[in-house]
Amino acid sequence: MLRLIVRRILLMLAIALAVSALLFFTVTRLLGSPAEMMLGQDASPLAIARLNAQYGFDRPAVIQYLHWLGGALTGDLGRSYTTQQSVAAAIAARVPVTLELSLWSVALAVTAAVVSNTIPAMRRPLQGVVTAVNLVGITVPNFMLGVSLIFILSVKLNLLPSTGWVPWSNGIGAHLRHMIMPVLTLSAYYFGAFSIVYRAEYQAVIQRPFIQVARAKGLGEWRVAFRHAAPNAILPVITFVGISIGQLTGGAVVTETIFSMPGMGRLFVSSIESRDFPVMLAVGMLIVVGVVFANLLADIGYGIVNPQIRDPS
Amino acid sequence: MRRPGCWIGVSLVTFVAAVAVAAPALAPQNPYASGVDMLALPSAAHWLGTDDLGRDVLSRVIYGARASLPIGLGGALVATAIGVPIGLIAGTLRGATDVALAALIDLFIALPGLVLALIITVMVGANLRNLILVLGFVMWPPVARLVRGQALALREALFVEAARAMGGKPLWIIWRHIWPGVLPVVAAQFSISVSFAIFTSASLSFLGLGIPPPAADWGGMVRAGYDYLAINPWFSLAPGAAVSLAVMAFYIIGRSFR
Repeated sequence: MLRLIVRRILLMLAIALAVSALLFFTVTRLLGSPAEMMLGQDASPLAIARLNAQYGFDRPAVIQYLHWLGGALTGDLGRSYTTQQSVAAAIAARVPVTLELSLWSVALAVTAAVVSNTIPAMRRPLQGVVTAVNLVGITVPNFMLGVSLIFILSVKLNLLPSTGWVPWSNGIGAHLRHMIMPVLTLSAYYFGAFSIVYRAEYQAVIQRPFIQVARAKGLGEWRVAFRHAAPNAILPVITFVGISIGQLTGGAVVTETIFSMPGMGRLFVSSIESRDFPVMLAVGMLIVVGVVFANLLADIGYGIVNPQIRDPS
Repeated sequence: MRRPGCWIGVSLVTFVAAVAVAAPALAPQNPYASGVDMLALPSAAHWLGTDDLGRDVLSRVIYGARASLPIGLGGALVATAIGVPIGLIAGTLRGATDVALAALIDLFIALPGLVLALIITVMVGANLRNLILVLGFVMWPPVARLVRGQALALREALFVEAARAMGGKPLWIIWRHIWPGVLPVVAAQFSISVSFAIFTSASLSFLGLGIPPPAADWGGMVRAGYDYLAINPWFSLAPGAAVSLAVMAFYIIGRSFR
């Protein structure tokens, strides 16, 4: 188990290094002169040269990269070209928003998927409904879901605030009201995806002898479903949560953009729009490393609940 | 054709493809002609109303199929062209090659596809060819993993063992014995890849990195119309429904073959 963890952490570091170098060199080569971007196309050559010297753009790319890497390791990710704000501070303010959105969404998706596919009464008559909802969740893009929700719940029914985000300190009610539609939007895809994985496993588990034993003991259908079958069918969902975290970040980027939430995804998109290289690089890196790290956590968690994979021989 | 759902998928795909091909004949108006009648609600002249530049929304949704289908099919082709050989080689050869390729697949499968696509697209620029390549590049890992799994199972089959015993070379075994067995799975996955390529490219254009305007592009239209939901909701909802329909159509076909 320890060897697995150490190997995965080393792999993660290697990935982070490779991705950062790749991003750094391609972005600096392809995006053109950042000085021109910051000063506009009509800037005098003198001003551009001064800015290049100030930021170190005139030095070789390798030196620039090592400089950036050294700063990044000590928590200094540079300053935004557009706002002059410290990138580390900008990111620190936005991580909680994205984390909260993602955690609520995964929690809702997994709970809904497990419950809706376990309830005994639902299995036959409502199976078609669950299947249809799965299909919609997986295939309707989240921007379409978000826009539809805004149209119905905000524009037509005037029930919920359409966009924006309110911090906890401004009242829990207001905060949660702003979270409802984003969480619904982001969780729809995962509800569908988890449902498919969970249902297949559940249907296999329900055929096993120990379920027959539980039934033979005279236990109620609900108790058999939730106490005996469900816990054994949840395992693959755990792995799946790990694998799909990469997908989740993509969904979060879109969801934060629809609902104008001040999270990492929105920051990333706006840095792309304004070609704000330090922000783009730092956020892109952080998302990739975060995803790989989340995968590591999922692997470790899976190793803990399933001893069989700890020592693959 | 295992499930009846397949026929629904095939009819939907045929419908979308027909709309794309017959767009000039079907569209009631020129999709690029702006007018003074901006953000109008649906009427006899404009069945889905007009957008912020006075262009006919229905015509633009119809023409949008012409942008989405080539990107979806192209992206899926590239993903299949990268993923299938990697999966076949990894699954058939085993040993060090398999370990290395499997690690590569696992690594890429974990990476955030949309975020990666955003970064690459902003670097190489958004046009039809680049979008197809970028989508193929972020979508090959699931294809490779699936093919590898199938090949791993097939290589243990007796007829493959017999081929090896006859002295068959690895490439010949892959081509003659493994590939035909993997083909149905690849076909089903291709359909799912098309659906996700359309999904992802629409998400990219929703985020402002699609085929640049004035092209009629579904994701971009949803984004543009989103500010005017209270005035003409169809400006945003109609292209969104079109994307959903196209994604669903290819997904249903892919799933029904599993």
